[in-house]
Amino acid sequence: MTEQLFSTDALPGPDDITRQSFDNGSVLLTRPNMSSPAVLIRGYLPPGSAFENPEKYGIANFMASMLTAGTRKHAFRELHDEIETMGASLSISSGGLATSFSAQCLREDLPRLLALIREVFTEPTFPAKQFQRIKTQLLTFLSIQAQDTAAMADQAFDRAIYRSHPYAIPELGFPHTLQMITREDLKDFHQRFLGPKGMVVAICGGVQPEEALGAFERSLGAWINPAQQPQPELPPVEALQGIIREHVTLEEKSQTDLVIGTFAPKTTGPDYLPAQVGNEILGQFGMMGRIGESVREKAGLAYYAQSELGSGLGPTTWQVVAGVNPKNLNKAIALIREELARFTSELVSEEELSEVRSALVGRLPLSLESNAGTASALLNLERYQRGLDYIRQLPSKFAAVTREDILRVARTYWQPDTLVIASAGEALS
Amino acid sequence: MNDTLITYTLENGLTLLIREIHTAPIVSSWVWYGIGSRNEVPGKTGLSHWVEHMQFKGTAQHSASWMDHSIARLGGHWNAFTSPDWTTYFETLPASALETALELEADRMRGSLFEPNEVETERTVILSEREGLENDPLFQLNEAVQLRAFREHPYRNEVIGAKEDLLALTREDLYGHYRNYYQPANALLCLAGDIDPQQALALTRQYFGNIESLPLEKQLPAPEENPPAFEQVDLHGPGDATFVEVAWRAPKGNSEDFFAFTILESLLTGPSSLNMFGGGGISNRTSRLYLALVEKELAVGVNGSLNASIDPGTFTINLTKHPARSVSTLLSALDNEIEKIQSKPVTQAEINRAVKQAKALFAYSSDNITNHGFWMGYANSFADYSWFTGYVERLAAVTPEMVTNTARKYLRPDARVIGVYTPNGAEAGND
Repeated sequence: MTEQLFSTDALPGPDDITRQSFDNGSVLLTRPNMSSPAVLIRGYLPPGSAFENPEKYGIANFMASMLTAGTRKHAFRELHDEIETMGASLSISSGGLATSFSAQCLREDLPRLLALIREVFTEPTFPAKQFQRIKTQLLTFLSIQAQDTAAMADQAFDRAIYRSHPYAIPELGFPHTLQMITREDLKDFHQRFLGPKGMVVAICGGVQPEEALGAFERSLGAWINPAQQPQPELPPVEALQGIIREHVTLEEKSQTDLVIGTFAPKTTGPDYLPAQVGNEILGQFGMMGRIGESVREKAGLAYYAQSELGSGLGPTTWQVVAGVNPKNLNKAIALIREELARFTSELVSEEELSEVRSALVGRLPLSLESNAGTASALLNLERYQRGLDYIRQLPSKFAAVTREDILRVARTYWQPDTLVIASAGEALS
Repeated sequence: MNDTLITYTLENGLTLLIREIHTAPIVSSWVWYGIGSRNEVPGKTGLSHWVEHMQFKGTAQHSASWMDHSIARLGGHWNAFTSPDWTTYFETLPASALETALELEADRMRGSLFEPNEVETERTVILSEREGLENDPLFQLNEAVQLRAFREHPYRNEVIGAKEDLLALTREDLYGHYRNYYQPANALLCLAGDIDPQQALALTRQYFGNIESLPLEKQLPAPEENPPAFEQVDLHGPGDATFVEVAWRAPKGNSEDFFAFTILESLLTGPSSLNMFGGGGISNRTSRLYLALVEKELAVGVNGSLNASIDPGTFTINLTKHPARSVSTLLSALDNEIEKIQSKPVTQAEINRAVKQAKALFAYSSDNITNHGFWMGYANSFADYSWFTGYVERLAAVTPEMVTNTARKYLRPDARVIGVYTPNGAEAGND
């Protein structure tokens, strides 16, 4: 095995991460990086889009988009003037299980930015003028997305694999459901679901822990929403049966996007780490692993062809994606299936495993050098209840994964005759 | 952080720049070549970008998989980019592995094979890359507008090249281009991160010192200082959204006008960032055009693009039209705002705000070592490193009068190209 080129003590761990829970149900994690003049705030909180009323699909994202449209203290223009004049940024969006936010500022502006984040969460007014404007922007975005072959292949894949599960529905909803959503709906949804219970925030960068804790305690840590309702549990997914083939025809497209996949192991379960190592070999390592070698390097069929292992608290997928000329679509599908058959029938080589273990460990300091990388890692520690020493344990965890573990997990999750194959592009011949 | 830049030039003409940053045990190594689509001739567009792809295909000494795996197994990442002005290759990896990056880059500076079968495989990969781009109406619109924004200068061509050229280029074209432009005297090596400069210099001498520089035949286009003649190009295609792109001539990166233009861009369409890797941006919701076009519901989105280039390039504004408005109404409102900034001086407070935003954008990505390596070479491609270190200071020296004069000089209604992408079957819109 390749020698480890850095000390694990340089990675975030219990001695330099501060974790504090607050009475309102929120948790703050912070790690200083005093060489940075900037501070990054990243977090997630309920609600997500998974529990929307079918008539109002897209409401969680619409609500998230409207939070910065004006508050009781600031009209739209005043609010953004204050944020942009600081040279700061604030973006809020909705995912399946949570609303996420990301904000950044120079270190001297942290208390002010945190106060503004609290203000947009607690005092949005959903002004009528902005409501109509943002609705038009969302509808335009959906119409642009409807011409995007990669997005349409993804959505076709999600529909086919998740079927009746809420994850089959695009998080942004549909044009006809967005049209049904009223300002009153947004106000009601905000009041009932957006709240600090379950909120997790990471603050990283040029700020000492006590300063970050104090600023958080005076802002988001003091937010209470007595009306906040808990989110229900997600239903289970239905098992896949056979090969499901879906194609979305889009006229006048030079390239077809392709997604082939199945369900992934549970992110918090014992199969996930072997799957992560195996996925590197399958379609990530170097120039996109075995898939890249076969589809791009040898056959020259695609500019990109790789595998992706999803993560999350709900059900996730394990996919191979590629962008190919329409006339090469079937050839690409055949090559990918050949690689999947090999992945599920043979042990990976000792050399592959050794190189990938080494890559995953060596990548840790690179992925954690920035405030953004550290903040994302801290959020994941809390999201998956991994403990503050998890990142430092990763090198030994990767070292413990065996070739047999990878083959077992590959066979469990990838079954050659039980797949979803989705594509979007010109009509199939 | 040590702001000092260490510079060496080897006897063969290779310039080495080192910036020590000891915040993380990481180093980023960049090799920049003075070759891009700007140096290509008609019929041979896309050569530089294709050569860049071939640089990952192996040398006499090292196979493609050796190159790839030697970086990946360290947890490092590597990639390359081709622009109109330059081609660059980088590796970011643990600091103790710097030698691996230098060995690889020195080897492929002269030793790439360009095997005929690999050339053919890569032809379809690049055609596939182009097809992916063609799927996007904004790529189609930009390609059509840039073709009209320059009469002859190669900035009129997309870096990836025209499809007919990609089908016709030969292995000899590619190899000749590579052998001519890839040599120490046409290269710059930039190292940023946790580096011992003496050790880095010794390694650079060891791996690059014996590479001979040959006479370089560099194709240099005549800069097109004069603006484009007014023209409108109309495209039609699938979808429901109408896009508009407007392009004017912009000053070259190494000119006084560029800094006033950067402030002008920031006020019109919001601050843009020089960061290549992460760092995030700042929204443009209080920029003049957002307020005048999006807030007034003539457009649903607006953004601007200005690049620091060797020769005068273009400044473009992209608009997504509001579905209930016409293109002519939208363009008329755009013209009104441009007239305003040409006729009434901006305030010092607006400039101060733009300067603070530029400063913040640098701060946001300064924790990323890879960005530092990028900035060093990027600034040197059209100026020198002092362009980068003095960037915020030079923005702060811009006066309201300079912004007005720059707007008058460049943003002329009779000297621009307008491109409109209209969905099939749709009218230009109604008011």
